[in-house]
Amino acid sequence: MPDTNTPYFTGQWWKRKDVKRHAVLWVILTAFIGYVGTEVQVRAMGAPASETMENVINLMRIFTWAASPVAAFAAAIAIGALMGKRHYGDNPPPESEHAIRNSPRAIALWIVVSALMCLFALVVGLIALQKDDARLLDAKAIHINVVGQQWAWNYDYPGSAGVRSEVLHLPVDQPVVFHVTSKDVKHSFWLVQLGVKIDANPGQFTETSVTPNKIGTFDIRCAELCGLLHAYMQNKVIVESKADYEAWLASQPDTGKTTWVEEKAAA
Amino acid sequence: MTTMMERPTPTSGDAPKVGIIRHLNVFTAFAVGALTAIIVWRLSLALLPADSESAPLFTREDKITLLSMIGWFVGFMTGIGALVAPFRWVMGKDLSHDENMFLAGKDMGTKRYFRYTTDHKVVGIQYLVITMVIFGIGGILAMLIRANLGTPEGGWIHPQAYNSIVGTHGIIMIVGTIIMVTGPFGNYIMPIMIGARDMAFPRLNALSFWLIVAAAIPLIWGQFIGGISTGWSAYNPLAGQAPLGMNGYIMFICIFALSTMVAGANITTTVVRMRAKGMTWNRTPIFIYGVVASVALALPAFPVFFLSQVMSGMDRALGTSFYDTARGGSGWLYENLFWIMGHPEVYVILIPAVAALMEMAPVFTRRPLFSFNVAVMGIAGICGLSVLVWAHHMYISGWAPLLNAPFMLTTELISIPTGMLFLVLIGTLWRGRLWMTVPTMSIFALLWNFMIGGVTGIYLSDVPADAFLHGSMYVTAHFHYTLMGAGLTGALAALVYWFPKMTGRMLDKKLSWISFWLVQIGFNVAFIGMFLVGLQGQPRRVEAYAAIFNKGNLVTSIGAATIMTGMLVLLAAVIGSWRSGVKAPMNPWQAKSLEWTVPNPVPLENFETLPVVTEDVYGYGRKN
Repeated sequence: MPDTNTPYFTGQWWKRKDVKRHAVLWVILTAFIGYVGTEVQVRAMGAPASETMENVINLMRIFTWAASPVAAFAAAIAIGALMGKRHYGDNPPPESEHAIRNSPRAIALWIVVSALMCLFALVVGLIALQKDDARLLDAKAIHINVVGQQWAWNYDYPGSAGVRSEVLHLPVDQPVVFHVTSKDVKHSFWLVQLGVKIDANPGQFTETSVTPNKIGTFDIRCAELCGLLHAYMQNKVIVESKADYEAWLASQPDTGKTTWVEEKAAA
Repeated sequence: MTTMMERPTPTSGDAPKVGIIRHLNVFTAFAVGALTAIIVWRLSLALLPADSESAPLFTREDKITLLSMIGWFVGFMTGIGALVAPFRWVMGKDLSHDENMFLAGKDMGTKRYFRYTTDHKVVGIQYLVITMVIFGIGGILAMLIRANLGTPEGGWIHPQAYNSIVGTHGIIMIVGTIIMVTGPFGNYIMPIMIGARDMAFPRLNALSFWLIVAAAIPLIWGQFIGGISTGWSAYNPLAGQAPLGMNGYIMFICIFALSTMVAGANITTTVVRMRAKGMTWNRTPIFIYGVVASVALALPAFPVFFLSQVMSGMDRALGTSFYDTARGGSGWLYENLFWIMGHPEVYVILIPAVAALMEMAPVFTRRPLFSFNVAVMGIAGICGLSVLVWAHHMYISGWAPLLNAPFMLTTELISIPTGMLFLVLIGTLWRGRLWMTVPTMSIFALLWNFMIGGVTGIYLSDVPADAFLHGSMYVTAHFHYTLMGAGLTGALAALVYWFPKMTGRMLDKKLSWISFWLVQIGFNVAFIGMFLVGLQGQPRRVEAYAAIFNKGNLVTSIGAATIMTGMLVLLAAVIGSWRSGVKAPMNPWQAKSLEWTVPNPVPLENFETLPVVTEDVYGYGRKN
């Protein structure tokens, strides 16, 4: 299709008034969108209780700031158009004074920039993913078995000859690997402030891991619709000092059931 | 004097010779359907043996329910007249000319809307009305959800009923948004836009619409026998455990998938084969690309959906174990099948809505579409990539952790073609002359909403961030931003834009403006509130929540009520204008595409002489 117009971006185009106006708008909007976008979201997410959650929050920050120039660019052009000539009424306005159908430079730039941003997002994501995966193989980790059922979670602890609890207890600064399964339907094991989640599938074990780094009581919720009382399938995780954790573990009655982790070790 | 016999031509005085078709309409369809269902029900009740001790729960009841529903379906399709023509054809005859004219709804007035009418304009109006009905019901269900979430304890709706309301709201809104552009506008406007007299297969066109009506009944039926307590995704093994109402969902999906496949084949063939002389692919309007991309994408997606539900039904009724882990099946199999449909499906919804706005952008800025080629490439790119991203719904399912990285790659790649659609829209706005109408402002609304929907999609595409966000209200808010904020905004703009051609009257300007602002403001209030509770940690599909989520849910409820008000205003505008609005001129927007060259009301077969196209439809702007 022939370009019926003289190209817009020729000569000293950056000195044009409307280009300058859009540029200023762009910078302001980038700062605004980036700041508001990160602050609102990060504040809503609350204080992290593990490095995993800190990573999630950092990812939200990075992606928001990376996306804000693009969003601001579209917004600047949209606002620029709205502030330009507007026409009200039942009959169409006169034709616009140009008939630009194309701009190879703008298109090439747009595609290259969006491809680079895509690559950036991928690399950032892969680095974070690699950290999460590496944690699963940590030799120092303790292994806890998580069983979901309608509508409660049960936890089996290692080295305890069969301690089972409904409220999860974790020692602080200790890597933990969770082996998650379900007795009936699919559930999803979500340690909210710790930033990890993994589905509990019947007949299968799935793994996730986390190192809590803050003492306190946090939330565990089921994040997959699992029937009648799905909304109530939530409980607490108590992160405590290593000594408190050991004391709690010793004080628990022995159910006599060995945990599956030990069964696997014996096999 | 000549002895030659003149060929007899039917005059308007003669009664046309029309066989059994004359007696068939929606009422006979409901009657025959109900009767067949009752007969099948009684027969299966009497004949089916009792379950053996070892059989899983519900099997006999499931068989009876499914058989009765199939009976309904066959009866309804017979009663509406879908089988008349195939039957004649098998007998070596075919429909007569009179019968074909009757089927096309010639000189029939409003009765044609209640029959198996083949005229694409009748089908378009039927789709428009049923879409509005679906949105009405889905909206009421949404308000019930919000009402129950008014307080943290929830509780005035029983959890089972609440889960069912959530599931039903989900699935019918998905269906409503799937048909909201390609149904009314793809059927009514598209054939005129490409300069055709009708669709390639007019009877299939009628079939695709009446299949949706046939599908609706099992879904409603299901509500009375236990409901759909699984959410719209109906994951197994939860669906296997759910009450009999689940069979309603299964039948609904199977019949709706048939409708989508039929419509997809029909629309694709029409666009490929029946464009006017001279309408090369470079001169084909971008809306046509959007419609064809949407239905063509549904062609591989919906057979998979159909299959997944057939297997689900067999697990329930016939004791198979496709999804039963204890007997060798896998819930992950269901998730895979579901999302192989489910991710293309969101683009089935989104693409035609965005394409409709791209079609309107040049009209309301009075300049050419910026880079038609990039728009086509963007649509094609989305279609291609959208079938490769499904497992991003399963990052945390544990199905294949090693595949998380590749699926993160494909998911993030899709932002490139999506960005192209943004480029086309902002490029068209750049230095345009804005004609301030509801469709124009809808372009801005789409840019805003789709930007939020798109950027939140980037967080969700990232595996570690998704491990926090998945299954939370954040996801719910995200897909409402894409499907409703972008999709529905495009569809409502399309309604305002094409209303004059479809009804012959202008849509009330004042009311449509009021509705636009109420819906857009309400929408952003509602779903920004939902983002926040998601980030705070509220899971999806809960009927009660911790007290910290109270504020965000209140905000969402206020926003939802505002949307509802806005939609009611729009409904009033549509009904009022349809009945007694200002008569529309032939081309109220001074647009250049072919649908504006036919008179109001559009005559049967649209064009007296078929148009010849010599340039594309975007020749606006002064050529310097």
